[in-house]
Amino acid sequence: MPEYTPFEMIAYTGSRVLEDETIVFVGTGLPIIASIHAQLTHAPGLGIIFEAGPLTPILEMGMPLSVGDTRACRKACYLKGLSSVFELTQRGHSDYAFIGGAQIDMYGNVNSTFEGGTYTRAQTRFPGSGGAGAMAANCEKSIIIMALEPRRFVPQLDFVTSIGFGDGSPDYRKKSGVMGSGPYRVITNEALFGFDEETKRMVLLEAAKGRTPEDIQKKVSFDLLVSPDLKEMAEPSEEDLRLLREECDPDGYFLARKLK
Amino acid sequence: MENGLSSPIQKISTLTEDATKRKKEEVFGWWGPSPEEARKTMVGKSKGLRDKRTTIKEAVGRYIKDGANIAIGGFVNTRPPVAIVHEIIRKGAKDLTLSFQSNSICPELLAGAMLLYPDHLSIRRAELAWWGYEVIGIAPLFRYLCNNGLIELDDYTNYGMSARFKAAAMGIEFLPVRDHGGSDMELVNRGIMVRSPFTGSSSYLVPACYPDVGILNVTAADMYGNCRIFGAHCTCPEIAMAACHTIVTAEQIIPNENIRTYPNLTEIPYTAVDAVIEQRFASYPGACYGFYWFDMEHILMFRSASEEFRKTGKRDALKKYYDEFIFGCETHDDFLSKLPYKTLKKIKDLDGGQPIILS
Repeated sequence: MPEYTPFEMIAYTGSRVLEDETIVFVGTGLPIIASIHAQLTHAPGLGIIFEAGPLTPILEMGMPLSVGDTRACRKACYLKGLSSVFELTQRGHSDYAFIGGAQIDMYGNVNSTFEGGTYTRAQTRFPGSGGAGAMAANCEKSIIIMALEPRRFVPQLDFVTSIGFGDGSPDYRKKSGVMGSGPYRVITNEALFGFDEETKRMVLLEAAKGRTPEDIQKKVSFDLLVSPDLKEMAEPSEEDLRLLREECDPDGYFLARKLK
Repeated sequence: MENGLSSPIQKISTLTEDATKRKKEEVFGWWGPSPEEARKTMVGKSKGLRDKRTTIKEAVGRYIKDGANIAIGGFVNTRPPVAIVHEIIRKGAKDLTLSFQSNSICPELLAGAMLLYPDHLSIRRAELAWWGYEVIGIAPLFRYLCNNGLIELDDYTNYGMSARFKAAAMGIEFLPVRDHGGSDMELVNRGIMVRSPFTGSSSYLVPACYPDVGILNVTAADMYGNCRIFGAHCTCPEIAMAACHTIVTAEQIIPNENIRTYPNLTEIPYTAVDAVIEQRFASYPGACYGFYWFDMEHILMFRSASEEFRKTGKRDALKKYYDEFIFGCETHDDFLSKLPYKTLKKIKDLDGGQPIILS
């Protein structure tokens, strides 16, 4: 098998998760790359929403460097502003939210607001919710990218920015007034997670080649469930890597970064 | 409607008392004009088709007052109203409230001015969804302000902030939205969870945001303030119609006849605009669809000076930036004159000639 980086594995796995003939509402970086890759391979009918306004653009000017990049508007089918696209999510037009964050808990709640200290005097303040909180609430399913580290897969978040299944109670999301069905997949370079239908807890669905569930558990600070149907993560082919490197992110803005 | 309803967020929240105190104890108050005050301002304006062209200096001097709530248009690096922000920094203003969904260089420039010259400019608080540079990194000065407890925050989602401006544009007090509930934003921001009076289901209400002044850069406008926006609208139309006063820079002034030929293309009506200034590259180093892309190098230069200040407390590089590019300039054209022709050519080429309609 060809050599690939952790970011390439995440982008490839993200692409695999997206189905054809759906709409994905993307965050900046790897979600955009994963969506472009999906369009170039198994999901030519995948539409993309960028939160500044465009629905289903043709990204012929290259990868947008951010969700507000003017290139993301190129040849869109519909282009207004933030209110319009977020209202589409409330009404059910968006199948996937594709977001990242700094911390995640076993119920798929995500923190992207601060870490350490308190809300009024945060040790490390992050940019904030941006679109993520609204996307996780109202796109039908949430896909979350996270680095597989014990300090990120935590029992309790410093701040719940993007709603998951809350405390796991069956009516948590309904009582919160949100519309989407909630967390669907969590993507890391070494493992792919889903959520148990009953308990709403995170389940290990796939582990990278050579990794056991125990290896994965060591990098997670809460107890993981393991799917009885545990699979090995598919690896990108040479053609997938060519697409990622030459077509999706040719300047290496996101794929060539080093894991911190 | 029943107030004081809550999602089960308390069951998972780890927030300490300082975070939730404001919401529990403070009686709601507008962080800017009330809906009645905003309407009164609008009613009191002359509605004639007046030539509103002026200079940025004159407009900022007239409308930006101490204690003002300033709404910043654009979205991250797209159409940020940089030319107006530079002039606000030159003029100085104290105890500002900033309101925006997601922005990068504009609030960072204001934050830097506050950190260097607190007696000249200060930000008291920000109601926002996101403050950062996306691909370029976190916003160092925002992190510094938070880490030192120098700014009060009110966190929403991008839709939440957009809906708040939209509510004000609609002349109402609040809008029900489908987000924030079940997250810690429900515990810290000034929205509230209520039971729907129709079905009893949970519904989150965000308070309208009526800014004193909206600052925007748009694609084109006529001299009366009718604006066209190509590319993403961001939340600019809502902000213009929410604010008591709106200052607009336009990359190009077009004849009123063009506006009247295609009235459907008008995104902001003249009645919502108080001052219009034709200013090329008014969002630089941000992007303006159809004219120029953002200049990553310039943003990196300012960001690295900011990062040095955050990490070491050294002010030299940051001060040099302000001295050279803001205080050393009378106008935005002076600022642009400091940039090499090749830079302007490059960002114009990188836009790729996105299609806009000026006719």
